[in-house]
Amino acid sequence: MNTLNAILLLTLVTYPSFAEVTRQDNLKIHGFASQAYVHTSANNFFGDSEDGSLDFTELGINTSYQLSPRLRVAGQLLSRRAGELYTGSPWLDYALADINLLSTTENQFGIYLGRIKNPIGLYNETRDVAHTRQGVFAPQVIYFDKVRNLLMSADGFHLYSNHFLSSGNILIRIGAGYPLPDKNVEYAFMGQNWQGKLDRGKLGLFGRIMYEHDGGRWVFALSGTTLELDFNRGEQDAIPFPAGAGLSSGTIDIDYTTLSSQYNAEKWQFTTEVAFEHVSYNNISAAFDQAGFDSIGYYGQLDYKFNSNRQAFIRYEEFQLNRDDWNGKKAARESLATSLFLSGFGINQPPSPARNNYSKAWVFGGHWDIKPNLRLRAEYHFIEGTAILSQRENTVPLTEKFWNMFAMSVSYRF
Amino acid sequence: MGKLFKTYILTLCIFFAPDVVTAQILIANPQIPTSELSRNNIRAIFAMRTPHWPDGTPIQVFVFEDENQTHISFCKHILGMFPYQLRRIWDRQVFSGTGVAPITVKSAQEMTEKISDTPGAIGYIELEHLTDSVTQIGSES
Repeated sequence: MNTLNAILLLTLVTYPSFAEVTRQDNLKIHGFASQAYVHTSANNFFGDSEDGSLDFTELGINTSYQLSPRLRVAGQLLSRRAGELYTGSPWLDYALADINLLSTTENQFGIYLGRIKNPIGLYNETRDVAHTRQGVFAPQVIYFDKVRNLLMSADGFHLYSNHFLSSGNILIRIGAGYPLPDKNVEYAFMGQNWQGKLDRGKLGLFGRIMYEHDGGRWVFALSGTTLELDFNRGEQDAIPFPAGAGLSSGTIDIDYTTLSSQYNAEKWQFTTEVAFEHVSYNNISAAFDQAGFDSIGYYGQLDYKFNSNRQAFIRYEEFQLNRDDWNGKKAARESLATSLFLSGFGINQPPSPARNNYSKAWVFGGHWDIKPNLRLRAEYHFIEGTAILSQRENTVPLTEKFWNMFAMSVSYRF
Repeated sequence: MGKLFKTYILTLCIFFAPDVVTAQILIANPQIPTSELSRNNIRAIFAMRTPHWPDGTPIQVFVFEDENQTHISFCKHILGMFPYQLRRIWDRQVFSGTGVAPITVKSAQEMTEKISDTPGAIGYIELEHLTDSVTQIGSES
């Protein structure tokens, strides 16, 4: 009886701390909230930014629960309001099971199953979390917000294989999944909202190999993605030329390769990434099938930490839609010829100017952590070209070639 | 002359002494099956990339806040990293669902208590706060 009492007493005394520890250990909840102010000298970026816009709001909450030593589940709900591109309706950002198959102190091997964020470059997986990206916006020349959902996550599986060697760490991810295209993708790759719809096509493939030298002093990564989307035409899309566009159902193939490197020192950080995109159109129409392109986007960013809560950066970023037609001169000539040709049939299709095929920008900015969880950011962009703009928010003939942007954001996370 | 010289040397020593006068040490729950870890292992553990001890016990990692001086010194001297690098790794895991962040404690007392109460726990403190309830873990670089 005494023994039983002692056990009971011991249990009662230790339970609260035991329960607290177990609860803390197995269930984790985190979240973030961010509000931005965007003001552009011309053109619309995330809302009517010419008049100053507050149309960029991000909210997220996630949870991770360790069901057993080898099995963990995690999920995140996201609400994202970004001008005309995203309305803020809640979206299941990821929902996955993490099954650890092999675990030693030097090697980890396992599988993620479910909706998984794609490991593209250094930042894709966390680009919606204001605290974790390089500025108010992720560099648009690689992390396009106008086609965000296409590359953001996919439904499928990823294998992970992580190796901790004495010289550094090798982190490998390989997976397959169905991408999640939306109307923004249609605007970006097909120029407008067609009656038909872009659907996930074949299973896409994703992979990244990352090497972290000396605890991450140097980080190098190579990521690759290959996707195929199905375009299913609507009846109106099929009306033959010149009364309609005469589209057939077909596919769009997209390959996206990214090279990344980063140097991390106590005060300085230098990051550079380059992305090569290959897009080809198959059987949609003669005009589309000729419109395939090989683009390049790259940036270099230098960060300086004044102290643990104040930081400044300078970045140059550039995107060229066609590597064989730098600054889009040839494309502009062809577009003008097409426009003249169509006008002969009484069709008014304004020519697409050269500026729509590239974007070059210098960005100066910084952040101040008012509290460890509360970050204020501000930055100024000097931009030439309009390729990062969405045609969902802008009428191309009315856009300006040279434009500036001021952006500020306040972000909280827990 | 001799005395003055000694004083001079002593002053120089104090002035240029490395800031390891107070040393950070790795501590763990006494039941963990390891008494020494390589720098590589320690980095992987504190990056939350090694979920288990060799005997299969889940690893529970405890840290101080990013701004904490002991945390900063621990990152620099034991891990050979900077606090922002660890934070970046944890954030990538937490906000993509591919992993978790460690548990944050506020004081050395809380650190030693949590570690002695939690199976598989590991953390760090200043040497002067070492108690009998936790085990010191050696680190080899």
